[in-house]
Amino acid sequence: MNAKRVIGVLGLLVVAAGIAMLTAVPISLLFGGADAIALLSSSVITILTGAALGVVGRSDRSNLRVREGFAIVTFGWILIPLFGALPFLLSNSIPSFTDAYFESVSGFTTTGASIVTDVEALPHGILYWRSLTHWLGGMGIVVLYLAILPMIGFGAVHLFKAEVSGMSKDKLTPRVVDTARILWGVYMLLTASEMGLLMLGGMSWFDALCHSFGTIATGGFSTKNASIGFYQSPYIDIVVTIYMLLAATNFSLHYAALRGNIGGYFRNEELRFFLVTYAFVVAVVTLATLHTNFDGNFADAFRYGAFNIASVMSCTGFATSDFALWVPLAQAMIFVAMFPGGCSGSTAGGIKMVRVYLLLKSVSTAVRRLLHRRAVVHIRLDGDVVDDDILVKVGAFVLFYVGFFVAASLILLETGLDAVAAFTATATCLAGIGPGLGSVGPMSNYHHLSDTGKYVLEVCMVVGRLELFTAIVLMSPAFWRS
Amino acid sequence: MRIRSVLSVLGFILVVVGLLMLCVLPISLSYDGEDAYALAVSGLLTVGVGAVGWYVNRKKSGELGAREGFMIVGLGWVVASLFGCLPFLITGAIPSFTDAYFEVVSGFTTTGATILTNVEALPEGLLFWRSLTQWIGGLGIILLSIAILPILGVGGMQLFQAEVPGISVEKLAPRISQTARILWMVYVLLTVVQMALLVGGGMTLFDAACHSFTTVSTGGFSTKNASIAHYQSSYIEQVIIVFMFLAGTSFALHYRALRGEWRSYVRDNEFTFYAVLVVLASLLVFLAIPFGERDELGKVVQAAVFQTVSILTTTGFVTADYELWFPAAQWILLMLMFAGACTGSTAGGIKLVRILVLLKNGINQLKMLIHPRAILPVRHNGKSLDQEIIIDILTFFILFVLIFIVASLAMTALGMDIVSSAGAVAASLGNIGPGLGSVGAVDNYAHVPMIGKWILVFCMLTGRLEIFTIIVLLTPAFWRR
Repeated sequence: MNAKRVIGVLGLLVVAAGIAMLTAVPISLLFGGADAIALLSSSVITILTGAALGVVGRSDRSNLRVREGFAIVTFGWILIPLFGALPFLLSNSIPSFTDAYFESVSGFTTTGASIVTDVEALPHGILYWRSLTHWLGGMGIVVLYLAILPMIGFGAVHLFKAEVSGMSKDKLTPRVVDTARILWGVYMLLTASEMGLLMLGGMSWFDALCHSFGTIATGGFSTKNASIGFYQSPYIDIVVTIYMLLAATNFSLHYAALRGNIGGYFRNEELRFFLVTYAFVVAVVTLATLHTNFDGNFADAFRYGAFNIASVMSCTGFATSDFALWVPLAQAMIFVAMFPGGCSGSTAGGIKMVRVYLLLKSVSTAVRRLLHRRAVVHIRLDGDVVDDDILVKVGAFVLFYVGFFVAASLILLETGLDAVAAFTATATCLAGIGPGLGSVGPMSNYHHLSDTGKYVLEVCMVVGRLELFTAIVLMSPAFWRS
Repeated sequence: MRIRSVLSVLGFILVVVGLLMLCVLPISLSYDGEDAYALAVSGLLTVGVGAVGWYVNRKKSGELGAREGFMIVGLGWVVASLFGCLPFLITGAIPSFTDAYFEVVSGFTTTGATILTNVEALPEGLLFWRSLTQWIGGLGIILLSIAILPILGVGGMQLFQAEVPGISVEKLAPRISQTARILWMVYVLLTVVQMALLVGGGMTLFDAACHSFTTVSTGGFSTKNASIAHYQSSYIEQVIIVFMFLAGTSFALHYRALRGEWRSYVRDNEFTFYAVLVVLASLLVFLAIPFGERDELGKVVQAAVFQTVSILTTTGFVTADYELWFPAAQWILLMLMFAGACTGSTAGGIKLVRILVLLKNGINQLKMLIHPRAILPVRHNGKSLDQEIIIDILTFFILFVLIFIVASLAMTALGMDIVSSAGAVAASLGNIGPGLGSVGAVDNYAHVPMIGKWILVFCMLTGRLEIFTIIVLLTPAFWRR
């Protein structure tokens, strides 16, 4: 591995983050500028450090090897939040380093788990930066999973038939930058249109901007303590619900739709499975909470069910109701719904629907094969036969995910956290959702966790965001050998 | 489907169960015999029905296909339990059919979950029958896992068709029935030795027999309300730890050891993994036990080892209320409920070989990420495994977890709290017995709503019969001709 090259690329990424940070300065000045100096100095420090790294390392980006790619991606998600935490620290909005880093990691991994008890007390520049970390992180993920990783056959997206997206793998290879530009276009468009719709619903432009960042990145940071529940507006609920679902959809489908191929949405098995599962969970939760939590008011039960389940399943983490107080069945459904996540190639986290779907298909195939031993039954996805090889990989992924969940939960339990909080905090951070249940529920936060607990959850957020393997590979001795 | 050949085999099973039920009569009579009448009637009825079913259909029995195999295995446990609960119903010891059926399914599946609040109030005959159901269930499981499931190819079990040391049909014995007979001898031997050791520790012959039945079958029914904690004897606990551990080991390995091949234990990947896991898990549990000043180190270690082995081997005996330990302890135990012990033993759960294969596959996948062009097969006991078997094992695992999730959600829908729901389902699906929360170590299942009991009955049966055997019966394709 060429460490210099890795450092060089990381330097470039840090510079980019610093420049993005600079955009928070005018926003801050617009609202009194209490945090302008902190933001300005943070971004100067970030840009200068990044530039220094870029000089130390060679910024020669040609012929990056797979190993170097893994290292850049993983260290990128560890290093950039370090700089992202500077504004919180320098403005003294979050005085403790552990807390500031937690908040920043949660932002860049588009998780949305917060340690801030009173969000509304933060100055506007900081609030903007907090939401922007989501947006930057989401952008990074889309490019990583749709433009870069498919080239090395990694991640869930490469399971897809290429034509659906109109971007075949072979055509893609030489033009990563073009693909990235197209995806960013889609990303911007979604953000801008949501912002417009939210402003139509009476939200201020600042809040609309921050919430759009949080939605499209499936992040979940809000500028209000009560999250989207603050607005008490069915219109805003509906807009955000729709955009959360759009953000959890494969972005290449959006791109295809923009080019006129609307049918791509309907032909995509993963999206269909995602929506059917979503509808099912909403139905169960609505019925479960109807009489107990909503006094038999069906419209309310449905509205809050649809919003909060979309929020959990898209891994966003906004809330309009304190679902930690719902009946046990609804809570259990929400907990289970924390695992599958959204579609591959979206900004959502979790296991990814396509993997769950393939495993369910392989279970039904296995049952069929028991009766017809000699029959050769293939699993198909979007019409293509799925290799046994891929199934084995998908299985290994899910087991690592569950194994990681179990291990991290046990560590949290050892720190003295209660079971409900420990299990849901791990599940929610691993999937990049944000709120859990119990003492880390949507109307609570992560402030009360021990430092060890916070670092464990940071690891969960990064590892989960990078679909485990990139991060786990780095921990294996074989990676560092030779 | 050759339904009549299925009926003839089921009839035969009932005759065996009925005869064993009649064996309880002398025991009942040697005490006050208040349940002798019920046992005699139930035994005769079972033998009668079984004999008729067997006799009427005997000429039709011929070649049995996969479908017939699934039918026999699935219905075998269901029907045997139906007759097995007669003594409880007739004596009125358990008046409700749901409860009686739950108790007996828990017996025949070697689970050990009970709806009885006061076990000690039961007459001796019924207590003996209750323990005997687990012992019979254990016999059935050995036959199932060695002779039948590999042929049906359930959940990667074809892996053991000829590969588990010594179970090669040609090597060990010329015929399946002989294989079963040899392994049953090991089973009986273990039972008798344990019984003698327990009597040596001061247990009554009756209690020793009952507890041996439920240890060797990894069942976990006790004749005492406080389970093994009743005896407050270090020696008895140690004996039971050893025998639970042995019962969680493949019986084929025991057989080979009896023939002098001691090393086959060490050579078996699954056994090594099992031994290491017992040590590691005991250590983890030990760390999660609050350590008071007056506690002796040895006793705490023993409590940790006992509970770990009891849960991992899916037995379910208790010597301490593990819910009073640090929360981490019960969650570690919950994880162990899924693991189970070795294949070819009487233990339930996912089975360690499956977990081992999946772990090895995971490590291989990581290596292949770093070396994309490398082709690394998963090896078990020196042989590289087909990808098909890995996928079978994978689907087994997924289905196991899926049933756990769905059943737990169903239990919460009935109004149980989340921890008790998950604990009850995990303990039933893994055939352990005691769960967490309101069905924990010192509680029982009496308060579970009726539908909940039937869900748990389904879980016990499905878990015991390696999931697919039951699930396949529920698919429309199975019944289509």
